[in-house]
This record gives sequence, structure tokens and C-alpha cells, in this order.
Amino acid sequence: MTRTMIARVVRVLAALGAAAVVVSLTATETIPRMPDGHPDLQGTYDLATLTPLERAAGSSLVLTDEQAAKLERQAAQQVATGDAPLKADRSAPPLGGDGSIGAAGNVGGYNRFWLDPGSHYTMLDGQRRASILIDPPDGRVPQVTPDARQRNTRAVRATSDQQIRENDPGLEPEGSYDDPERRPLGERCLLGFASTSGPPVLPNYFYNNLHQIVQTRDSVMILTEMVHDARVIRMNAQHLPKTIRRWLGDSIGRWDGDTLVVDTMNFTDKTRFRGSTENLHVVERFSRVDARTVRYQFTVEDPATWTRSWTGEYAWPATKDLIYEYACHEANYALEDILRGARLKEKETKR
Amino acid sequence: MRIGFRRAVLALSAAACGALLSAAALPLASQGQTPAYRAPRTPDGKPDLNGIWQALTEANYDIEMHMARPAMALRQGPYGPLPAAPVLALGAVGSVPPGVGIVEGGEIPYKPDALAKRKENQEKWLERDPEIKCYLPGVPRATYMPYPFQIFQSQGAIFFAYEYAGAVRNIYLKDPGPPPVDSWMGQSVAKWDGDTLVVDVTGFNDSTWFDRAGNFHSDQLHVTERYTRTGADVLSYEATIEDPQTFTRPWKISVPLYRRLEKNAQLLDFKCVEFVEELMYGKWRKKPLSGE
Amino acid sequence: MRSRLSILAAAAGVVMAAAIPVLAHHAFGGEFDPNKPVLLKGTVTKVEWVNPHAWIHLEVAKPDGTKEEWMVEGGTPNTLLRRGITKESLKIGTALVVDGYQARDHSQLRANGRNVTFPDGRKLFLGSSGTGAPTDGADPTEGRGRGRGGQK
Repeated sequence: MTRTMIARVVRVLAALGAAAVVVSLTATETIPRMPDGHPDLQGTYDLATLTPLERAAGSSLVLTDEQAAKLERQAAQQVATGDAPLKADRSAPPLGGDGSIGAAGNVGGYNRFWLDPGSHYTMLDGQRRASILIDPPDGRVPQVTPDARQRNTRAVRATSDQQIRENDPGLEPEGSYDDPERRPLGERCLLGFASTSGPPVLPNYFYNNLHQIVQTRDSVMILTEMVHDARVIRMNAQHLPKTIRRWLGDSIGRWDGDTLVVDTMNFTDKTRFRGSTENLHVVERFSRVDARTVRYQFTVEDPATWTRSWTGEYAWPATKDLIYEYACHEANYALEDILRGARLKEKETKR
Repeated sequence: MRIGFRRAVLALSAAACGALLSAAALPLASQGQTPAYRAPRTPDGKPDLNGIWQALTEANYDIEMHMARPAMALRQGPYGPLPAAPVLALGAVGSVPPGVGIVEGGEIPYKPDALAKRKENQEKWLERDPEIKCYLPGVPRATYMPYPFQIFQSQGAIFFAYEYAGAVRNIYLKDPGPPPVDSWMGQSVAKWDGDTLVVDVTGFNDSTWFDRAGNFHSDQLHVTERYTRTGADVLSYEATIEDPQTFTRPWKISVPLYRRLEKNAQLLDFKCVEFVEELMYGKWRKKPLSGE
Repeated sequence: MRSRLSILAAAAGVVMAAAIPVLAHHAFGGEFDPNKPVLLKGTVTKVEWVNPHAWIHLEVAKPDGTKEEWMVEGGTPNTLLRRGITKESLKIGTALVVDGYQARDHSQLRANGRNVTFPDGRKLFLGSSGTGAPTDGADPTEGRGRGRGGQK
């Protein structure tokens, strides 16, 4: 370009007030953009990952290539074991339960082929991450307040060998089967389990970790497969009055350069992310790493629950897979069977 | 005489051509009236359907034109139908308002055995209407239930989110092939026909109803929707219903959708699943509530 | 044997190959009875491809020749749909063997699908990873990431 041509271009751009856009274009030319110049975050993403929320206290955030490879191989081996054929003439499982722990409830749950928990550790900044949590720097969720400890009598108790043999998996305190309202929100088909819709949006380490983003002039919509929740982030808007509470909180968004910053508060008192209260406050930051990947970062705070705020991040890689309908309540045989089962057990115990 | 005849024929033909031409010049949507509304465009040149829309109709009670009725669940009284016992306490709040209907031609063309089943649905409304259990409403019922829904439209994506039961529909712009399993909301594939968004919906299960009057379908249901902006705040909605197992022929509904204009218009949570737990599971509580 | 398995699992924190991992998902232990193990050999009469759990209906012949209709609980179908499985994939009449535990309400012929296999012991729905034979109904040419995406 000649000097006069350059000068003319600069004048035109200045007149259009597009100087900021020009700067960011040259810095991140590979990311797709909306017509208004903001990054295009749209797409369908599969968040499944082996990276857990927390890591061993004080261990490194970054896995070496060898560590990651070894762990991923182990995970792949578990899949192969789970998919391996059984003997043709097997017998019924053991009387009294098969010893499987946790939610598998001593009855063995179901086969591995139903699962899709992910096969890789999440990669950001060229690092394979050992945890989603990046702050506190030791990789652990901060201590809960004494208030929270008292409030959350639903805390998971370690199971003893004795308790494993009991019919009740021992993960839940007494009374957990008394009413439908005491069951987990996922079991009631009110919200997906493991904060799959959040916020904060987390991998659930089981299946159906797909999410879709659709972006319009005044909204960003995030669809979570379970339970077909469409969270609408109202751009450049005000929060709802405090009397209006929402299952996923009330989300408002704004652009900070090329980062979408979403502020969510006004949760219901039933949402209770990790035992938190309706005063949970989540700030999320979405930005594009490249045309295929969104970086998702979140900061969580609730002074009534944690002694300080905490932050995590992981990658959302795009997928060509489709999100399918997850109608949950419509065929929720399990909830009725669980409650009925508890009533029968009580009758038996009385005898 | 012959010249006069030929001239007359020519004149008639010219007039006919002129009439045809002027008819063609008028946009199809409003022949003989004002020119069709031209909606603002999205950056990729398509009519902008973004917004929060809602139907203003009694169709969710009964999509056919109907008189007011005492209740949705009835019993025979000494002088005619009365509200059935389970809904009696609702009084007039539980009554059915009249409606001009949204079915073009007035009546749904049921096959005889299907018509009998509709009557049965009406008699067993409390057990059978999926709305009572907060089940996903299906298409087209979700469109004309009296709650808002939001259309998200960008280049490359169209998505509908309904306030009722948090129902959602991903409107594919690229056909993903036949739906692998049946679903409540079906699989939607869309294309533009001029300024009309045409949405082809297949892959339904047989579990949704069209309204609270027992109107139903089989899993052969195929719905073709047409969305057209006809004004700044009006979206015309038409849907063709095909189901050879239930109806003798395809039939159509049409109802305008209006933009919610409140400054704070937005979808709020209507997770009614929670509200139906007592009805569905109350008897399995450790201490069932007394039936007062 | 059982206590050895549970000690192993607790010590290594390892996910048991046949069972689902430890996390609050849904209380199988509340729904099914560990004191009622079952081994069902039957043929498929119906498959409910529904969430949150698919249900496979089996016609099981009892020793005395009478037939029983059992329902076997599986996982979410959505994972399988992304692997190319459709509602046609598990055909009516397919012979299956299921081991699991019966529902706590013993009047219900329901069981968890702890292991659902073909009579020769092969697991179902593995067409995409190549370990399933065409008889499982899955199209062997379909796989993950079919690229059917309807969006950009």
C-alpha cells in the first residue's frame, strides 16, 4: 500500500470508529466474529473431560505429557475392560449385593457402554490440566464456613465396609427417602446432576456433556442437554428484582474486549450448588481460543458457604455431534420406584 | 363483423392479461389489500424473527371453535354436564372459556375410530391430558399455549425456547437425516421460502395432545409450520397437520403470534414438574398428607 | 469375593468396570434389592428409548414354560444415538442375557441391567468401536461424530 492509501484507510477506519476492532482483528485473526465485531461463540460443544474439579492438595496444575498419557491410557483401559465380553454361561450376581459402591448402590448400576465421560484431560494454554480449579492455587475448593457445615447435613459420609453391605449405600443421611423433595434435583428431573447446567457449568463425568451456544444481538442462549435447560443471558441488562429467583440464577452479560462476561445471581434456595445458598454469585468469562475451542472460566462466591471465592477454567471443544432431546420427567419411572422401594424397606424393617 | 369480433377477443385478452399482471404484481400475502409487510433483516439478509412471542387465543382449551363449558373434567348432572368432583372447588376459575378456534375449515377430520378415542380422552381428561403432568407440550401445542416463547435467530442458527416447562426446539438449518428415536418436541428442519420460515417437524412420539379437549395424534404425526412476519409486532403462524393413522386428510391451523412489548419482557422459570410431584408421588411419602 | 472387590475398589478408588462411578447420580440401591439377584434369559419385546433411563422389555421363559415380561433399566439413550444407534437397532426378538437385581417391590418384574449381553456374552451397542457384530442391529459404518450437525 502507498502512504496516501494507508492514510486514507486510517481516516476511513477512524471515521467508522472501528479502531478497536482493527486492533483486535490483527491480534486474533483466526477467531470467527459476529457482524457487530464481537467474537462468535456459537456452536455445539462437548465438555466431557477426565480433568476433575479439584486435584490433590499442592500438586501441580499441569500434567506432564507422560502423566497425562498414562492417565488417559488407564481410562481407556477401564473402557476396554467395561466393554469386554463376559462368559457365555454366567450366573446371577451375588446374593446380598455385588459390593459396588456409591450410587451404583451395591447392585452394579448398568454397563459401561451407556457412559461417555470423556477420554482426555482438558488442554488450555498448551497445558494438560490436572484440575479445573486454578484458584486457590493449591487446587482445592476453599474451606466451607461453620454455618455451611451445620446447614448441610447432607454431606457425603465415607462408607465403611460394613455399610457397603447394607442395602442403603450409606451416602445419604436418615430421612433422605421420606419425600420427593428430599431427593436430588437430578433424580426429580428438575435440573441436570453435577451442575451440568450450572452456572458454573461443569462436566458431569458420566454422559451427555453437550451444550450449545446461540448468540443474537441482545441475548446469548446456552442450551444444556440435561435437562433441556436454555439459559438466556440478557446482554447489557439489569438483574431481576431480588424477589424473583431462578433455578439457574439470573444471568446478565456484557463484552469486555473479546471476552463475554456473565454475572449470575438471584438463585433459588433449592439450586444449592455444592451446598451453597441462594446468595450464590457466579461470574463467568467466555472467550475464544481458536475457531474450534471456547475457554470457559468461572469464579464462584458465597460468603455464607465458602471462606473465599474460587475460580476454575477448562476448554469447551466444538463437536459435530448433535444434542438430543432429554425429556426426563416424562419417563421418570425411577423416582416412583425409589420412593416406593423405601416405603417397602421400612415395612420390612418394622417386621 | 369479423373484425369487430377479433378486436373484442383481443380486447378481452388484453384485459385478462392486464388483470393477471396486476394480480401478480401484488405480493401474495395481501392480494387486493395493502402491500405485504417487509420485515427488517438480520445481517445475513433473512427476515428477523428474533423476539419474545405469544399467541392471544383460547386454543389451548380447545383448538376447534367452541362454546364455553362448565369445566375440563365433567360429570353428568340432573340438567346437563357439571364440573367433576376433583375440579369442583375451582369454581368458575376451572371453567372453559369460548373460543373462535384456529382450525381452518372448523372441524378436525378424524377417522371414525380416532373420533371415538377423542371422546374417550375427554371423558378421562384428568388421567390423560399430558399438560396435567407437566409433560413436554409437543408441536404445535407449545406455540399457542398462553405463555411466551423466544426465538433466537443468528446467521447459522435458529433456536426456540418456550417458557412452559422449559421446552426447547433446535431448528436445524441443515437436515441431519431421519430422527433416530421419537421425541416429545419432534425434530425440526427449516428452510426459507421467500420471507417465510418453513419448519418441517417429524419424529414425534404419540404422547402429546393438541389441547385440553382430547385432540390427539399418533407417532405418524408430521407438522409443517410457516412463520411469516406480517407487521412490526405480529408473526403469522400456520401449521399443516398430517397423520394418516388418525385423520382422513391433512388439515391446517393458523393463529397470529404477537410480540411481548413490555420493557422487561423475558422468559421466566415455569418448571411445573415440581408442582405436580404431590399429585404423582404424594402417596409414596413416608407421611402422606391428609386428604383434606 | 465380594468383600475383596469392595476393599479393592475403596483402596484404589478405581471405577468398577461393570458399575457406574461414585457420584450422586441416582440411587440404584434404593430402587433395586441387593437380596434379589436375577439372571434373565429372554427376547426383546419392546425398547423404550427414553430418558433418564432406557428400558428394555424382555420376554423370559420360566422353567415351567410360562412366560414373564420383565423390564430392564439401562442408561441414557442419547450417548448411543451419537454413536449411530437408532430405535431400529435393537430388534424385537433379539435374544439377550441380563444379570442384575430385582426392584424392591417384588411384585414388579423390573431389574437393573447390571450386565446386558448377547447369549455369547458380548456387550451391546459397541458397533462403533468395532467389537459389536452386525447382529446387534447397529450399522457398522456409523461411528462417532457423524458430522450431521445442523448448525454451523
